[in-house]
Amino acid sequence: MRLQRALLPAQERAEQLTQWLHKPHGRLGLITSIDGSQLITLVLDTETNTANCWETPLEGNRYQSLTPVTPQCHWFERNLWDLFGLVPDGHPRLKHNLLHESYSPDLFPLSKTVQHDYPPAEKTYRFLEVTGDGVYEIPVGPIHAGIIEPAHFRFSCLGEIIFNLEIRLGYVHRGVEKRLCEVPWKNQRFVAEAAASDTSSANALAHAVAIESILDLAATPRANFLRSISLEIERVAMHISDLGGLAGDIGFLGVSSSMARLRGNALRLAELLTGSRLQRGFICPGGVTYDSSEHLSQLRESTLLLQKDLKPVLEFFLSNQVARDRMERIGVVSPRLAKDFGLVGVTGRGSEQSYDARGHFSHGVYPEVRPIFIVKNDGDVLARANVRIAELQNSLNLIVELVDLTPEGALMTPMPDKLSGDQIGVGIVESHRGELIHLVFTDQHGAVVRYAIKDPSTNNWTGLAIAARSNLVSDFPLCNKSFALSYSGHDL
Amino acid sequence: MFKLLAYLLSTGTATNTEPDPQLPTGVIGLPMIGSMPCIGPTCSQCKNVCPTDAIEINETASATKIELDLGSCIGCAMCTRGCPEGSIVNDNRLRTARTDRNDLVVMSGDASPLRKLGKDNRIFRKSISVRVVSTGCSACDLELSACSNPVFDLERFGIHVVASPRFADVLLVTGPVPKAMHAPLKSCFEAMAEPRIVMAVGTCAISGGVHKNGYAEANGVTPILPVDIFVPGCPPHPWSIVDGLKLAMSGADR
Repeated sequence: MRLQRALLPAQERAEQLTQWLHKPHGRLGLITSIDGSQLITLVLDTETNTANCWETPLEGNRYQSLTPVTPQCHWFERNLWDLFGLVPDGHPRLKHNLLHESYSPDLFPLSKTVQHDYPPAEKTYRFLEVTGDGVYEIPVGPIHAGIIEPAHFRFSCLGEIIFNLEIRLGYVHRGVEKRLCEVPWKNQRFVAEAAASDTSSANALAHAVAIESILDLAATPRANFLRSISLEIERVAMHISDLGGLAGDIGFLGVSSSMARLRGNALRLAELLTGSRLQRGFICPGGVTYDSSEHLSQLRESTLLLQKDLKPVLEFFLSNQVARDRMERIGVVSPRLAKDFGLVGVTGRGSEQSYDARGHFSHGVYPEVRPIFIVKNDGDVLARANVRIAELQNSLNLIVELVDLTPEGALMTPMPDKLSGDQIGVGIVESHRGELIHLVFTDQHGAVVRYAIKDPSTNNWTGLAIAARSNLVSDFPLCNKSFALSYSGHDL
Repeated sequence: MFKLLAYLLSTGTATNTEPDPQLPTGVIGLPMIGSMPCIGPTCSQCKNVCPTDAIEINETASATKIELDLGSCIGCAMCTRGCPEGSIVNDNRLRTARTDRNDLVVMSGDASPLRKLGKDNRIFRKSISVRVVSTGCSACDLELSACSNPVFDLERFGIHVVASPRFADVLLVTGPVPKAMHAPLKSCFEAMAEPRIVMAVGTCAISGGVHKNGYAEANGVTPILPVDIFVPGCPPHPWSIVDGLKLAMSGADR
């Protein structure tokens, strides 16, 4: 969708954002800046299915923090400090997020207007300390025990109960957003996919939608169907993997190894559609790159087979009383907090937030084709597992349905060599984790001057910290798996 | 419980026991130099579309030579699709691990390089413990996790992923190692007993891939630690990772 900027002075921005988020259909998309001389606030309305881009010009490098009134701003404001050197006055817990101690104190990689009125301070970091009789800390990471991305978790515990969990991210900050502005736009898709590769199809789709809206072009009808099939295959593969991980952490190894085997079958679907297990390089602005016409009937058969194979395994998982006991009332996020922190995807839908971008914003064949949306209200690990299981089954049905409906025709709309000047393009996609946003700004010559990505994990990491509170340390792996968040997608 | 056991028995053996598995037809692997001669720098289709500058075309008096750096290649298939002559084609072989960074640069007319580890690893015998440090976008991590599933079944080769560097023989690194991971990676390496083998899995770990030369100094493992085994690909196929791990154990092709 193409966006227009609306100028909004700082005071009005604060008032309007608070009002916007009080509406039942109001959402905060992301907060960022283009070059450090303004604030960009992207807000979404899920009733009219529109997005607005507010621009707030800044004088100097300070602004009033909105975190005390709208807590979901906190992560965005920390990132603005690291990437642009913009200081939010009154932020209750301002800490570095993306740039760690090893970076030079005067590096603000995305700022083009360095006008700092204070000497840059050393990048120090202090964890929140919980004090009292018998309180102790468990530090975990950045390198974890298994095959997991890096981050540091600091648990403050009393006995076996977690009092507070502080999550320190940023270890895999690779400078993706800056690199996206440095490469020619036709190569951007390879960098966009590598933002988080378990979400590569969704990232490529969000990128393609954003670029197409800048050019005011559309993908071909056939490509739109293939894109949706690709997105659903990714959802199937990752939901199987996450459910298998959950079973593994419970110690239910028969189910977890069956899930690992069946995930391989889901990846085979991806190979048939795109020629790549992780669907790399498939979706590009204008359409798709790989002609899978001769494999589509085999894809349909394999999907039906996978559906049949999954059925007994899912039944074993859900009917096992020990597995249910480990998941029920563990890691609860209340609907109220889920709304306040803007939680998205499976996590949001497990806590009564009915939002699914597939029902609202144009990508692939959505929202014209409407999948069935699942919402649970318990907010615990079991609710999130149930949402995953239902979505997994719906996605498999949807793949079969979409293969049947896929029209003949070209795979690609021809693309011009240059992007249109002075445009804002946005791509909003429901990835398997939830709402993923790519926001792209071009200058008058059509060069990309700012490329912002908001991974669904950015919203949901706070949810994990909330969910872990008052739970047993030994239940943390279950909470963690039920959120299944991306480190690289957040760190970029 | 018995129902589950009966189910597991009914699904049969999932493990693939082929000695040298290859990619199915139609699946995109790494590129390789084809049998047809390249028409020279006037074409340069492949070089122009390569997003990571992994292709050089050199003209000598007798022939045109394509130089392909698999350590920078992200396997996007733009070159194999763009080549009008069939001089660069898709490679469906999966034994892609190398023991020398230079062996990843392939040229027209090259024979398959000899793979031999530069260190004495006889003490490992038929089993190795692997410590994984992930520093990237999670694609390589997913493929590495897939190695442990019933199809690839890594443990049957005597390869075990462990939770501490103290009892690890191999340090396996994925991702381009951005600045905040430099120090943790070094301390992980220093905590290992010798002999220790460092394995760079994936194009990012080998060269930084699409992230190289940025402000986050994400240029791969080589600027930080000496690397013994390189597994190219973005991400490498699980069989390629298994190939690299088996090479760490055997020391050389037999």
